[in-house]
Amino acid sequence: MKFRAVMMDSSPMREFANIVSTISKLSKECILRLSSDQLYFIVSEENNGPAPPILWCEVPQALFFSEYQIVGVDDEHKDIYLGIISANLSKSLVTLKTAKSLKMKLTKKQCPCLTLEIDLPSITMQQSRLVTHDVPVIVIPRKLWTEFHEPRVPRPDISIELPSLKQLRTTIDRMKTMSPEVVLRASAEGRLTLQIKTDLAKVSTRFRDLRVEAFEGPIDHSDSESESQINEDVSRVCYCRVDAKKFSMFLSADNISHNRTICSIVHKKLVTLCLQTEENVKLQCFITGIVY
Amino acid sequence: MKCHIPGPNVKVLGRTIHALARLGDELYLESLSDCILLRTLNAAESAYAMVKFNKNFFSYFNYNYYCTDDKEGLKCKISMKSALNTFKSPTHMDKQVENLEIKLDADSCKLIFVVKCKHGIVKTHFVSILDCKAMQAVYTKDLVPNRITSPHKILSEAIGNFQNSDDQLTIEAFSNSLIIRNYIDSKTDLTKVIRTQISIKPIEFDSYIIGEETTITFTLKEFRALLAFAEALSLPIQLHFEVTGKPAVFIVHNGSTFEAHFVLATSKPDIPTQETPTQNNSMIDRKRKEVDNTQGTVRKKAHLSIDLSKCLDEDSHLFNFIDIPEDGTEVEKENQTQKVWHTSKIDCDNIPPSPTSKMKLKTIFKRCFESTFDVRSIQGNVLAENSDSE
Repeated sequence: MKFRAVMMDSSPMREFANIVSTISKLSKECILRLSSDQLYFIVSEENNGPAPPILWCEVPQALFFSEYQIVGVDDEHKDIYLGIISANLSKSLVTLKTAKSLKMKLTKKQCPCLTLEIDLPSITMQQSRLVTHDVPVIVIPRKLWTEFHEPRVPRPDISIELPSLKQLRTTIDRMKTMSPEVVLRASAEGRLTLQIKTDLAKVSTRFRDLRVEAFEGPIDHSDSESESQINEDVSRVCYCRVDAKKFSMFLSADNISHNRTICSIVHKKLVTLCLQTEENVKLQCFITGIVY
Repeated sequence: MKCHIPGPNVKVLGRTIHALARLGDELYLESLSDCILLRTLNAAESAYAMVKFNKNFFSYFNYNYYCTDDKEGLKCKISMKSALNTFKSPTHMDKQVENLEIKLDADSCKLIFVVKCKHGIVKTHFVSILDCKAMQAVYTKDLVPNRITSPHKILSEAIGNFQNSDDQLTIEAFSNSLIIRNYIDSKTDLTKVIRTQISIKPIEFDSYIIGEETTITFTLKEFRALLAFAEALSLPIQLHFEVTGKPAVFIVHNGSTFEAHFVLATSKPDIPTQETPTQNNSMIDRKRKEVDNTQGTVRKKAHLSIDLSKCLDEDSHLFNFIDIPEDGTEVEKENQTQKVWHTSKIDCDNIPPSPTSKMKLKTIFKRCFESTFDVRSIQGNVLAENSDSE
């Protein structure tokens, strides 16, 4: 098993540091899957059974690394799966924003490590200094790989583009102090409503004129009493109740320079948030709906 | 003794007090005929700091203000907390304070700070004197083989790469490079910690003389205090050190008015592979005993806080740790005798004091009793190879 990769350009390095820091905010531990063309960061909840992971992030290597070599265990198992404490990785990569280059490799230094060699410029002269971080990792045995397969999600009823994440985050952060759950309601007309209900108040924030990517209506509302706006066609609205904290956590990804974020809702069951960048990084977050 | 410190210098003094407060809980002040010395020692007695303010640091300096016949300097010990109270927020101090007056009377039991602020506000702090003794460590800084002068930025940037949880630092000094890394204790779980290593080229430093290649390990907390101090005053740091086990002296000075020495104990590195279960047991046993062992502490204290006259002996190296014989049988024998001695001691009235939570005895003493290890024996023997063929 061998892995070695080199990053030379400053903007992908900054982006990579941002991705890793976002992931460290979302979870304590993550799985880093290395394959010949992509890097995957996978976060799955403990004991969540067959449910999809919470986070699935794909980073195409070609746009980030100038050099990339990987050799798996054998020809059938070309990938490498590593268990890693995400905070360790993000703390080691903090300096990446000013670095000249990053060399990543898999080493065995008394325990398996992901060695990060960062070449930092020195402020005083043209000199540079080499910083080496040995981040301990766990090599995931092949029999457990199946647990980290790409999630198969049901076809969403609606996919709608999200407004600016920063704006959304301030809204959600206010809401989550009042209620632990938030209802996301999206209509085929491009309206997104965030709503919380407490004993004392009902708060909704509406975003209008959002682009609807796909709609698989009509939605069956027969089993629930649904409240909607007057003159709104109920069958063109779907909603899902989710944990406000989990939703807000995903929104901290706003430090990644993304070009669009899509929110897909499977009526009452699942919310999938997918952030895509120009470099084709895909960060997907799966939040299961809360049903009473 | 009576002295006046002008506004801008009050900030320097404030920074000094704050730096010293990160080391010890007590502050020793000594006034000599031409300077004032501030000293502190940390609870584990592994770090010592001395800051000397020359006469020209003060706008008025009268050593003999209270007309004492005593030719020896005035000495006092105060609690660090009360000193800190006088120098709250050193960053703004130079803007508010016009003048600071310090008065120390040989017969008085208070040290007096009179802070004259803008708009005619005068704050007077009466600080209780705990003791009238001085404390001094013995170390050599001039005749050491290894000396490095570094701009504070180089070092603080390098230290910035380490985690906050790292508590000890190892410096490997070679004539062609300086390697800094976080020290990994033989008991730490390697799968939990990040091992960081930084190599700095000698050309980055202002001066770099390594007469004897060596490896030293010292605590990071005190080193961070020193860095913060140097950074606040934007002064370079001089690193003077000998070999493993001898104290390392870090000097910050501005040439004429003041000079600060931070002396840190250095210890020998050990590697996890050396550890055996039997050794482990005896180590724990010894560690506990050392903490409880009042006589041991007294002996150690006496060694460290001896008064000035006794300290002149150049050979008494302060922070030397006791080397434990590597021979297992000898360790066991020694352990047994200690045990016997320990049980007989229980009958005595001498009840050992319980260790205070502030003391970092646990971490410090642990190191003394771990199997010592000579770094030379592993050189050239690669324990684990890199996965790539570089």
